[in-house]
Amino acid sequence: MVRFTLNGEQRELDVDADMPLLWVLRDELGLTGTKFGCGMGLCGACTIHLDGAATRSCILPVSTVEGREVATIESLAGAHPLQAAWVKYNVPQCGYCQSGQIMSAAALLAENPAPDRDAIRSAMAGNLCRCGTYSRIEQAIASVAETATPVAAVQSYDPAEQGTE
Amino acid sequence: MSISRRQFLKNSSTAGGALAIGFSLTACSGSRLPPVAAPGDFQPDAYLRITTQGEIVVQIPKAEMGQGVITGMLTLIGEELDTSPALLRFEHAPAHPQFDDPEFRMQVTGGSASVRVYARLLREVGAAARAAILMAASRDSGIAVEQLSLRDGVVSAKAGGYRSELAPLVPLASQFDIPEQLTLKSPTDYRFVGKYDQRADARSKSDGTAQFGMDVQLDGLRVAVLRRSPAFGGVLTQFDATKALNMTGVEHVFAVGEAVAVVADNYWHAQQGAKAVALTFSEPESAYRSSAELEAAMDSALADPDSFHSARKTGSAASTEDPTVSGDYFVPFLAHAPMEPLNATARVTAERVDVWTGTQAPDVAQAAAADALGISRDRVFIHNQMLGGGFGRRAGPDVVVEAVRVAAQAGVPVKVVWSREDDTQQDMYRPAMKARLAARLSSDGSVENWSHHIVGPSVLQSVASAMGAAAAPAWVPDGVFRFAGKIIGGRDPQSVEGAAELPYQFGGVEVAFRNLPTHVPLGFWRSVGHSYNAFVVESFVDEVAHAAGIDPLQFRLQYLPEDSPERACLMQVAQMADWQAPPSGVVQGIAVHSSFESTVAEVVRLRTVAGELRVDEVFCAVHCGEVINPGIVEAQMQGGIVFALSAALFGQITLDKGAVVQSNFHDYPLLRMDQSPAIHVAIVPGDGPPTGVGEPGVPPLAAALGNALFAATGERQRRLPFSVKA
Repeated sequence: MVRFTLNGEQRELDVDADMPLLWVLRDELGLTGTKFGCGMGLCGACTIHLDGAATRSCILPVSTVEGREVATIESLAGAHPLQAAWVKYNVPQCGYCQSGQIMSAAALLAENPAPDRDAIRSAMAGNLCRCGTYSRIEQAIASVAETATPVAAVQSYDPAEQGTE
Repeated sequence: MSISRRQFLKNSSTAGGALAIGFSLTACSGSRLPPVAAPGDFQPDAYLRITTQGEIVVQIPKAEMGQGVITGMLTLIGEELDTSPALLRFEHAPAHPQFDDPEFRMQVTGGSASVRVYARLLREVGAAARAAILMAASRDSGIAVEQLSLRDGVVSAKAGGYRSELAPLVPLASQFDIPEQLTLKSPTDYRFVGKYDQRADARSKSDGTAQFGMDVQLDGLRVAVLRRSPAFGGVLTQFDATKALNMTGVEHVFAVGEAVAVVADNYWHAQQGAKAVALTFSEPESAYRSSAELEAAMDSALADPDSFHSARKTGSAASTEDPTVSGDYFVPFLAHAPMEPLNATARVTAERVDVWTGTQAPDVAQAAAADALGISRDRVFIHNQMLGGGFGRRAGPDVVVEAVRVAAQAGVPVKVVWSREDDTQQDMYRPAMKARLAARLSSDGSVENWSHHIVGPSVLQSVASAMGAAAAPAWVPDGVFRFAGKIIGGRDPQSVEGAAELPYQFGGVEVAFRNLPTHVPLGFWRSVGHSYNAFVVESFVDEVAHAAGIDPLQFRLQYLPEDSPERACLMQVAQMADWQAPPSGVVQGIAVHSSFESTVAEVVRLRTVAGELRVDEVFCAVHCGEVINPGIVEAQMQGGIVFALSAALFGQITLDKGAVVQSNFHDYPLLRMDQSPAIHVAIVPGDGPPTGVGEPGVPPLAAALGNALFAATGERQRRLPFSVKA
């Protein structure tokens, strides 16, 4: 049994402790906004927030989220300023990676409300986009960064520290 | 602009054949209804209907894989309806002959052709619906059609006194025949074409609600993971499911073709179960078990130029016996690596087969599924989804075949999901190719002859079976296409595309190809033959320019026809990049290439940062005829450049023991944001109808980069991927 907060709601699930959170979200809970891209934490399509920090859910055993707060793209409900910027600048092409891109960008802005170009590019380097929307992602984040206000403090998650790969 | 519909349809039928389909099916003609018919709707043709609620719904006959085809098509229809594309609803069209591409005569998305082929047709669809709505409003109001106007879903009298939404007009509109004469808007009256700047799918792709094949959910759906032979052509000899069947969630383990399928309650359990299956495959007797063996065969072939099939021989007798410049170029196999790994969901019952998947070729998927189950095609229903990247990969029906077979055997609805490793190792690859280039300069420095020999496996031969079978009537045996594939392969026009059409006016030009069939499955990879031929041609043009002692831009201009789009794009891009006087600290390379009826010139600007050469900026000038959505043209150029940079800097699939070595993004890397250059795009104004934009941004990039690397290092790199050192 795993207990955690998902998008603000308490959840209690009877799932394998070692099942990656990604598949719990997608296959058990039907939250399909978070995407499967590589299964190795290399592409960022599965990015969620774990206690506010951008985290790859495809290599995160669900047992590690016990008692913690998980937020997915669904939690932003289309109302995050980044999502408005994504629409305004027509960022998506195929769109498959964009949930992960937005979750990484939201975590970046929560930590650093006014990132410069290098800070944006380095924070977003873990999210691949095969369609090559990088310049518009950068543009959209920069447009929000100028007016963003600080949100919650974030912690970083290191899988190795948690005793998992 | 007023045109006679009858005349237009007659004209187009000589070019394409099937263009009349939509219009032959007016709602009052009494003939069979389009496949998306709904009772009470006004449905003048297969592409458009207006519901009883007044909603305008457009069937998108092409796959949306990021190239913006939905937005482009809604813009064209919306223009003639004088109604914002934002007010139109879209659906992915089902597999049906009514949605065959008028040019390909198949329902396939590729060749950067969607908007080019459909622009006129979709404007007529909009104009036809508009005419019927106005006639209905005229009957409703007693006001003459000429005194009425339609704008953003509302009909009103120009003089005032009448106003109607669409819903009340729907029953009336169905009673009229579409007039013979349709009036299309004059470009000066455009409200949306060239102006509308929003993507129809931007919102759903920013809030996580866009549905891809991977996201399909059904009652009782199971997930399957397959174990396939790592070496291409391996035959399953034995497997032991005992351990897998004892694992949590695993419900079935069985052989399907030469693979073993593990069906479980979710992906994780299926994947764990698949790992636990013990299995062996026979060693395939395939030629070229390693990349080195394949390249050795290419070298042998190049030593025998008489064995090549001539694709072009023009001008003075092209002798390369004593070339001034020569060199061998090599490009590796490449994987498509769409972000969404391949997947397909199938539900098989006695009555019908339903397949949910993101496909570039719904009719190929339909035919392949029907053949796999031995049933007729009309019992297979393809429900297309958003594609998480296609780039040519999703034209192949392999995952659909797996899904219907596994679902049929398991007796439950099944989603087959490929891992990234499957996606990398079981692709239909961009072929490896080798080319021998030679040119001779005369004593006055002009180019006397140019010779280009290309050797490698033919894509067409590899795909002829699946694609040919779908395009032809069902009674034609598939063996015909395998046989035809062998013949086509020897003179595959795609293997020489972008090489045979060399635009430079040299004394003599010789281009020849030799097919070198392999066991490696091949497919269309964004820009297909242009992806490597542009690299070879535009690199070697640079070599010849340097040998002649002429600036590479001046050299190209000297040999290009006066009014060519290549010239216009080169001039534009040179101006953008300050070619004659670039900023200090940078070096640049230039290239131009025409593909899919468009032309793109690019300049790559390198800068040395911390002792390393970096691709700092890319300048791009594109000529693509009438522009429907400038923002999407820009995005396709940016995307094409990033796609091509990944290939030029990192991309290679290699073989060992007949199998692919690479497996995931650690050893098949894609360009990341912190490595991506600033990209500046200019659209060169052009007359004429819209031409391709999805692919043409790709081809010039590798050559422009290689030429910049030569400028920086003095070393000519003739192999991809490049080795980038300062």
